[in-house]
Amino acid sequence: MSWPKILDRHQSLWFLITGPTLWALHFCTVYAMTAIYCEKLGDEAGPLRLGILGVTLGALVLIGITAWLSWRQWDYTDDWDYEHDGLTVEDRREFIGHAGFLLCVVSVIGVIYVALPAAFVGSCV
Amino acid sequence: MRWWTFIGSKAMRGPAATKAQQGTADPGDGTTRHDMSDDRIVRPRLRQALCALALATLPGCSGVQHVLAPAGTDAGFLANLFWIMLAGAVVLWIFMNGLMVYVTRINVRQMSPKKAEALIIGGGIVFPTVVIACLLSYALAAMPDMRAEGTGTRLKVTGEQWWWRVEYWPEGADAPIVSANEIVLPAGSRSEIALTADKVIHSFWVPALGGKTDMFPGRETRMSLEPLEPGTYRGQCTEFCGDSHAWMAFNTVVLPQEEYDAWLENAATDAVAPEGEAATRGREVFFAEGCGACHQVRGTAATGKVGPDLTHLGSRTSLAAGTLPLDEPSLIRWVRDAKAVKPGAEMPAYDHLSDDDLSDLAAYLEGLI
Ligand code: HEC
Ligand SMILES: [Cu+2]
Repeated sequence: MSWPKILDRHQSLWFLITGPTLWALHFCTVYAMTAIYCEKLGDEAGPLRLGILGVTLGALVLIGITAWLSWRQWDYTDDWDYEHDGLTVEDRREFIGHAGFLLCVVSVIGVIYVALPAAFVGSCV
Repeated sequence: MRWWTFIGSKAMRGPAATKAQQGTADPGDGTTRHDMSDDRIVRPRLRQALCALALATLPGCSGVQHVLAPAGTDAGFLANLFWIMLAGAVVLWIFMNGLMVYVTRINVRQMSPKKAEALIIGGGIVFPTVVIACLLSYALAAMPDMRAEGTGTRLKVTGEQWWWRVEYWPEGADAPIVSANEIVLPAGSRSEIALTADKVIHSFWVPALGGKTDMFPGRETRMSLEPLEPGTYRGQCTEFCGDSHAWMAFNTVVLPQEEYDAWLENAATDAVAPEGEAATRGREVFFAEGCGACHQVRGTAATGKVGPDLTHLGSRTSLAAGTLPLDEPSLIRWVRDAKAVKPGAEMPAYDHLSDDDLSDLAAYLEGLI
């Protein structure tokens, strides 16, 4: 069975940017939720904060899964080295996995920071 | 070479040093050429200048417009935050540079990849993430307090081109007490300030009292301030808004509660009648020239709303939104040609008026206490 092109791990850059993409989506979702809730539903932000918590946990789980897949793709534990700048398919696959994994780490930090205000600020005002 | 001499001499290595040597070389005709020496001379001078500036501004910490000389709860918190972050940054700077010096100068040897990795992950990812999360949490935790709703005075400030329309709304009032270009607040209670703008975006900031908030046409934003120390503090528009943006300032006068109550009572009254001959004549000039088409002087036929309310102009501490002191020469200068003082000011020049007319007018305006 042949994989569709987008899933060709050594060719598709999607695996590189899945983490940051999820981070960006989380950011936009949280902003949109807050703007709409505070405009339409009043100042007491209890349900909104729960919603942000939910969206955040969801984003973290998805980024976690992406990180795990990238980690596997990087295959670090196979040879314990960072050498993957050769012209082989394996090197490309590992490079994309490695970079994707690091970007997932950044994305986790970003998502947590984006959600942090909701942990402290209890109202829209 | 010791590391400190290394650091000191580093700037003089390479092309800069060669250049410098050329720069001072005697070309043989008895003159010394300095044309090549900019790099060498300007840099240390710049550094000296920066140091001098830093030292010179330290005493300025007692200024009327200084974030590090807080006179209110919110500014106090912000100043603390600044010092905490500065202290953290200094410690980090020393630590990082110390480490760099240590591994490159003092204890030069190879590090195992494992150790190096631990250093990078620990010092480069985990440590800053945790530190920033702590700082962020500390600041965020204070936000609800700083944005707490005011309990005392309520006012509304509108950003105009290039002045401030101010309305006080005492408890239960159905019409505001109108003023302009100066804000008076009671010490020791939190005042609620609604903000908006007329044509373009402005931003309201009194550094000694708290953070800044933008003002948008057609939208109302809000902030609250809790001044603690009576005094006069300068505020400034901090969003570029056109020609005279830099001249769009104001004084905030913080008074003890009883004095504030007395002030507000006076602010609610109509303008006093002119006293003395000059002021009385000045009043005639005021109406003959049609100033009332743009300015309001409550209790008179002047009901214009285009420019600042002048009912109690004489009791303010500055003229034309913090641009000039409030005295006779400044008033004359302003009325004669406002645009010459404040580029773009939307008030016509009255340079056809005689000196006598102008000084009488100034007497009338100063008397509006
Ligand atoms: C076309 C409208 C207009 C007319 C007419 C006009 N002014 Fe003004 N005036 C303004 C505006 C607008 C400002 C605010 C300008 C600024 O600060 O940028 C102002 C500001 C002032 C101020 C400073 C107020 C303050 O709060 O510090 C004084 C004083 C003043 N005008 C006096 C006069 C006098 C006296 C006359 C008549 C001789 C006059 N104005 C006529 C529009 C007008
Ligand atoms: Cu402005």
